[in-house]
Amino acid sequence: MKSPALHHLLLTLLTTAGLLMALPAAAELVVVVNPKSGVEHLSRDEVINIFLGRYRQLPSGISAQPVDMPASQPEKSLMYRLLVGKDLDQIASYWSRLVFSGRTSPPVQAASTEEVLRFVAANRGAVGYVDHSRVDNRVRVALEIQ
Amino acid sequence: MTVTARLLLGLIGFFFLTGVSLAASAQAWLPASLSIQGFGTLGLARSSNPTADFVRDLSQPNGATDSFSARIDSLFGLQANYAFNEQFEAVVQGVSHYRYDASFSPELTWAFLKYSPNSNLSLRAGRIGTEFYLMADSRMVGYAALTVRPLGDFFGTLPFHYVDGADARVSLPFVGGVLRGDVYSGMASEKLPLQDRLWDLEHSRLTGTSLEYQKGPWLARLSYAHIDFHYNLPLTPLPELLRATGVPSAAAAADALSVANTRGAFRSLGVVYDDGHLQMQFAVARTTRDSVLFEDDHSGYAIAGYRVGQVTPFIGYSWIFSTPKSLNTGLPNTNSTFIALNQLVAFNVANSHSDQHTTILGARWDVMRNVDLKLQYDMQRGTPTSIFPARREQIGTWSGSTNVLSLALDFIF
Repeated sequence: MKSPALHHLLLTLLTTAGLLMALPAAAELVVVVNPKSGVEHLSRDEVINIFLGRYRQLPSGISAQPVDMPASQPEKSLMYRLLVGKDLDQIASYWSRLVFSGRTSPPVQAASTEEVLRFVAANRGAVGYVDHSRVDNRVRVALEIQ
Repeated sequence: MTVTARLLLGLIGFFFLTGVSLAASAQAWLPASLSIQGFGTLGLARSSNPTADFVRDLSQPNGATDSFSARIDSLFGLQANYAFNEQFEAVVQGVSHYRYDASFSPELTWAFLKYSPNSNLSLRAGRIGTEFYLMADSRMVGYAALTVRPLGDFFGTLPFHYVDGADARVSLPFVGGVLRGDVYSGMASEKLPLQDRLWDLEHSRLTGTSLEYQKGPWLARLSYAHIDFHYNLPLTPLPELLRATGVPSAAAAADALSVANTRGAFRSLGVVYDDGHLQMQFAVARTTRDSVLFEDDHSGYAIAGYRVGQVTPFIGYSWIFSTPKSLNTGLPNTNSTFIALNQLVAFNVANSHSDQHTTILGARWDVMRNVDLKLQYDMQRGTPTSIFPARREQIGTWSGSTNVLSLALDFIF
């Protein structure tokens, strides 16, 4: 027979596991766009193309303007780790190739989460990423990054 | 004034004129912006074999021997980007590197105006980078690369860094990835040191096209380019002496030594796999040249690196093999003059021979953001006749093989 204490522990563990599955990560990143962008959803490939400068156009046809969080914030390194499995040193090296071949430029660099939100709210083609908890009605969530 | 200089002056004038007018009107939606950035490498290299100089590419008249030299890899570049608005951008780049005249005199490497009316089209005019091989237009940026320098067997015999002309690039989304097509044409304007003289590439038209597909970690690129040489190699007085013999076959040989109006054609296939900490590159190329003075070759390379913490150890292999050509003067080896002429012709015809392969081991350490340190060991193995990628080789002593130890500090700002 199981003791009531063990039974309680098991129940707690199962409930916690269930909650963890429902809320996969404490810091959840979301890609946000302007509500007037004409975009409801972006695919992971589209986000990669926009942020790595491969093809900067939204599915609605307007040109995309990506904006980066500051490197001092954990969201930036999390974004690139989840998106392409690279750390920020590798991203810096990647951009040096494209910048000095004169081809394309890295995303606009914001100084804070609030600046990302303001940039996205002010530009129809803007694409940013923020922690899920910082989303407000100025922006629209287009993709959850996992 | 040369065509190049006129083109550049015109371009600079255009930047200023349009800069004033467009910058003012652009402020309504996006402010015009100027950014200045730079890159550089402090490199040291030492070759174990002092009987030939190890160079980064054919643009260098001499290079590293058996004492450490900072000459071949050290360079400094500065670039200014001026975005007039979302569609127009001007880019000017100057690089100081060890070049044909044995100096570090800075060169204007890019000076172009870019017009991108939408995400599908990008047009550039002015002095532009040539990307006839995968990643050839970022060859100078050590910080962008895994290795100390572009692999010599593959890139070493390519002296063209830029052309004065124009290009067009079309990008289209295609099953989750991006398909890109590129065409460009322009005049080369660099110079090559050859046997203590200079070969001028000015007025030689370089035209090329490429098709690439990029999706997720994969990038594949097919390209073709050709150059029509305008000037002959500086062989004087050899052709004159051949004609002076009065022998028709020798005069025909003199004509055959002409490089002007002959074509060199470059075909290549490159594949990159770049996923997280794993980086792999593979490329092969086939080069054919009409002139008897340049052999046709096959070359290629493969590199793989895996990042562990801040360090990325890498391993590479590259090769270049060329097919000998011959030129018969018809002069009998009956007197010392004819013998000397025949030897001189044979020497020049064999002067572009390559027959070597190289194994590379190294590591890149990302010391801090925007700075890396690299250590690399190249084990080049070749035949004594493999002299095209080397400089100042001592015929009869040079074995074609050497080991090169390189240390480099790369930075961007």
